[in-house]
Amino acid sequence: MQENTIKPVKNQVKVQQIRHLSESVYVLRFDRNGLSFEAGQHVILGLASKNNGREYSVYSGEQDDFFEVLIKEVQEGDISRKLRKVQPGDLLEMDGPLGFFTLDPDQVLTKKFVFIATGTGIAPFSSFVKSVPGLDYKILHGVRFGHEAIERENYDAARFHLCTSGDGSGDFHGRVTDYLTTNPADKNSEYYLCGNVKMIHQAFDILKEKGISSDQMHAEVYF
Amino acid sequence: MKYHLITLGCYMNISDSERVRTIIESQTGYEWTDNEAEANLVGILACSVRQKAINKVYSRITKWNKWKHKKSLVTFISGCILPNDMEKFLKLFDIVFRMSELEKLPEMLRHYGVVTPASLFSDLDSMPKNQSIDTFWKITPHYSSNFEAFVPIQNGCDKFCTFCAVPYTRGREVSRPSDEIVEEVKSLVGQGYKTITLLGQNVNSYGLDKKGEEIGFPDLLRRIGEMGNSIEKEFWVYFTSPHPRDMTDEVIEVISQYPCLAKQIHLPLQSGDDKVLITMNRKHSLEKYREIVHAVRRIIPEATLFTDIIVGFAGETDEQFENSRKAITEFNYNMAYIAQYSPRPGAAASRWDDDIPAEVKKARYHLITEDLRKESLACNQKMVGKTCRLLVVGHDRKEGYLSGLTEGKLIVRFASENEDLFGGFVDVKITSASDFSMEGELETYQVFKTCEVLGIKETLQV
Ligand SMILES: Cc1cc2nc3c(=O)[nH]c(=O)nc-3n(C[C@H](O)[C@H](O)[C@H](O)COP(=O)(O)OP(=O)(O)OC[C@H]3O[C@@H](n4cnc5c(N)ncnc54)[C@H](O)[C@@H]3O)c2cc1C
Repeated sequence: MQENTIKPVKNQVKVQQIRHLSESVYVLRFDRNGLSFEAGQHVILGLASKNNGREYSVYSGEQDDFFEVLIKEVQEGDISRKLRKVQPGDLLEMDGPLGFFTLDPDQVLTKKFVFIATGTGIAPFSSFVKSVPGLDYKILHGVRFGHEAIERENYDAARFHLCTSGDGSGDFHGRVTDYLTTNPADKNSEYYLCGNVKMIHQAFDILKEKGISSDQMHAEVYF
Repeated sequence: MKYHLITLGCYMNISDSERVRTIIESQTGYEWTDNEAEANLVGILACSVRQKAINKVYSRITKWNKWKHKKSLVTFISGCILPNDMEKFLKLFDIVFRMSELEKLPEMLRHYGVVTPASLFSDLDSMPKNQSIDTFWKITPHYSSNFEAFVPIQNGCDKFCTFCAVPYTRGREVSRPSDEIVEEVKSLVGQGYKTITLLGQNVNSYGLDKKGEEIGFPDLLRRIGEMGNSIEKEFWVYFTSPHPRDMTDEVIEVISQYPCLAKQIHLPLQSGDDKVLITMNRKHSLEKYREIVHAVRRIIPEATLFTDIIVGFAGETDEQFENSRKAITEFNYNMAYIAQYSPRPGAAASRWDDDIPAEVKKARYHLITEDLRKESLACNQKMVGKTCRLLVVGHDRKEGYLSGLTEGKLIVRFASENEDLFGGFVDVKITSASDFSMEGELETYQVFKTCEVLGIKETLQV
C-alpha cells in the first residue's frame, strides 16, 4: 500500500482500450499518466465537459502502467450506457482517486481477508489481489449465471468461489449470502463487502450472527 | 453606490461572507446597506444542503432580474453551488465565482461597465479545484460580531458521505497554513473576542492533505492552547465539525490540557445503526463511535456532547431508526441537530430511491426530538445549584432577561437588562432547568467590551 497521501486531481484521461467481457460488463483502460492510487479507491468518471460523473472503483493494480475500471451497463442507466460507447483515443473527465475502502497497511501481511462481491463489486478486490502479492484472501463472487464470471483467471483458483444464484454452474449454487449462511466464518479474518446494498446488509447480519464484529467488516455500497 | 449580501446556510458561509465584505468594502467603493432594494450590487452566498435554500436563490435572482428593468443592478453569486446549478447560475447572474477566486471580484466588477453574461469571462470548472484558496484565507475578514468569530482552517471534503454534496460544491480538502490560523486566532483574542470557532468540513483531518509539510489537528490545537496560556485573557476555542473516523484520543487529551480549548465536543453520528452507517459511507462502526464517546467521558468528564442525526435516510427501516433513538439515550447528548433526509443532487444517494415517505420522516423527527428533549433535561437538571461562567450573547426572549452560553454551549437565561454585559463573561448560579435551556441568577460579572479593545481591562465585581 502506498503510504503517501495522494493529491486528488480532476483530469482529462485518454481511453486506451475497451474490453467487453459480456453483453453488459466491460473494462475501460486508460493511460496511467502518473496517477497514483491505493487499491480499493475509486474515481469519478464522466464525459468531458458534462457535470455527470459516476463513481467507479479502480480495477487494475497499483503497479500496472495503465489503469482500468470495470463497468456494468445498467439498462435504464445514463452514464454506464454512454461510457460503453467510448472509443480508444476519446477523452473523459476524471476526478480522484478517492475513498477509504482500502487495506490497512498494518494488516496486509498479517491478516486473512474475505472479499465478498456481487457483480462489478469485484473491481476493488481485483485491484487488491493485483497490487499485493502474497495476500491471504478468499473471494466470494456472486452473479446470476456462470458465464457472468468476471476474469476469474486473474485469481488463485483455490481462493475464488463463484456463487451462482440462477444456475448450478458456479462453485456454489446460491447467493453469496447463502454461502455465508451455510459455511463457517473465520473469526480472525477481515471482511470486505462490495456491491449491492441489499447483499451488503444481509451479509453484515449473517456475519454479525456468526460472531464477526462490525469493526472487522468494511463495505463499499455501489447502489 | 451600495451593496447588499444574502448569506444562506452554515457557519462556513457566514465566515466566507466576512471576507467577501472586506473585499467589496476595501476595493470597490460599494457601501453596505441592510436594504436590498436600495442596493446597486446584490449578491448571494448559496447553500446546497437543502432544496429550500437553493429555491431561495432562484426566487431572489428572478426578482433581481426584474429590478434590472428599472435600475442599474449587478448581481453575483458564490458559496456552495452544485455543478448543475452552476450552469444555470452562469446564465442568470452577472458574476459567478468560486470563493477561492474572491480576490478577482473587484476586477470582475470593473468589467461591468457594460453588462456581459458571467459565462463569458468565467472559466469555472464543474469541480472546484481550490487552487487559489490560500489567497482567499489571507483576506482579513469583516467580522460580523465583536465577541464571536469563525476561523476557517480547511476547505472542502474528501469523505464522500453518500448523502452529502459538499465534495462537489467545495472540492477536495485543503488545509490552511497553521501559522496563519494561529495568527488569526491570536489577533482575535487581542481584539477581545471571547469565542472562536475553528471551521472546516472535517476539522480533525486537518493537515492530512499536506502530510510532512503541515502539522496535524492535535498539534494545531496544542499551538492554540499554548498561545492561550501565554495570554492573560479568557476565551473559548471550539471546532466544528470533526469526523469520527479521524477522531483520536490525542485530540481529546489536548482539549483536556488547555483551559482555552472549550470543553464541548460536536461529534456527528448521523445514524445509530451500523448498516445505515455503511450505506451513508461513514466508514466507521457504531462501536468505534462508542469508544470515542467513552474516551471523552473518561478524559473530559465535564464536556458537553453534541451531534448531528439524519432521519429517514434511503432505506432506513423502523428498526434502524430505533437504533438512532437508542444512541441518543446511550450517549446522553446535550444537543443534536436532527435533519429529515432529502436527496442532494450530485451525492451518490441522490441516485437511490428516497423511499421513506415524508410523513414517516416527520414522525421519526418528532420521536427522536422527544428523546433528545429528555436527555437535555436530565443533563440540565444536574447543573442546578452550580455556578457557571457564561458568555452573554444578547437579550433573551423572556422580557427582562439576558441570554448566555456556558463553555459547553448550554443556554442559560438570567434576569438583567444591562446591555453592557453583551459579549462579556458573567458567573451565574443555575436555579432551574428545562429542556434545552436553564435559568440562573447573576453572581459576578466583568465588563470587557470596548475598554478591552483599547487595552484597558475593567472588571466590575458585583
Ligand atoms: C463508491 C462507488 C463505486 C462504484 N464503483 C463501480 C464500479 O466499479 N463498477 C460499476 O459498474 N459501478 C460502480 N458504481 C456504480 C456507478 O457509480 C453507477 O451508479 C452505475 O454505473 C450506474 O450509473 P448510470 O448513470 O448508468 O445509472 P443512473 O442513471 O445513475 O442510475 C440508474 C439506476 O441504476 C442503479 N444501479 C447502479 N449501479 C447498478 C448496477 N451495477 N446494477 C444494477 N443497477 C444499478 C442505480 O441505483 C439507479 O437506480 C459505484 C458506485 C459507488 C458509489
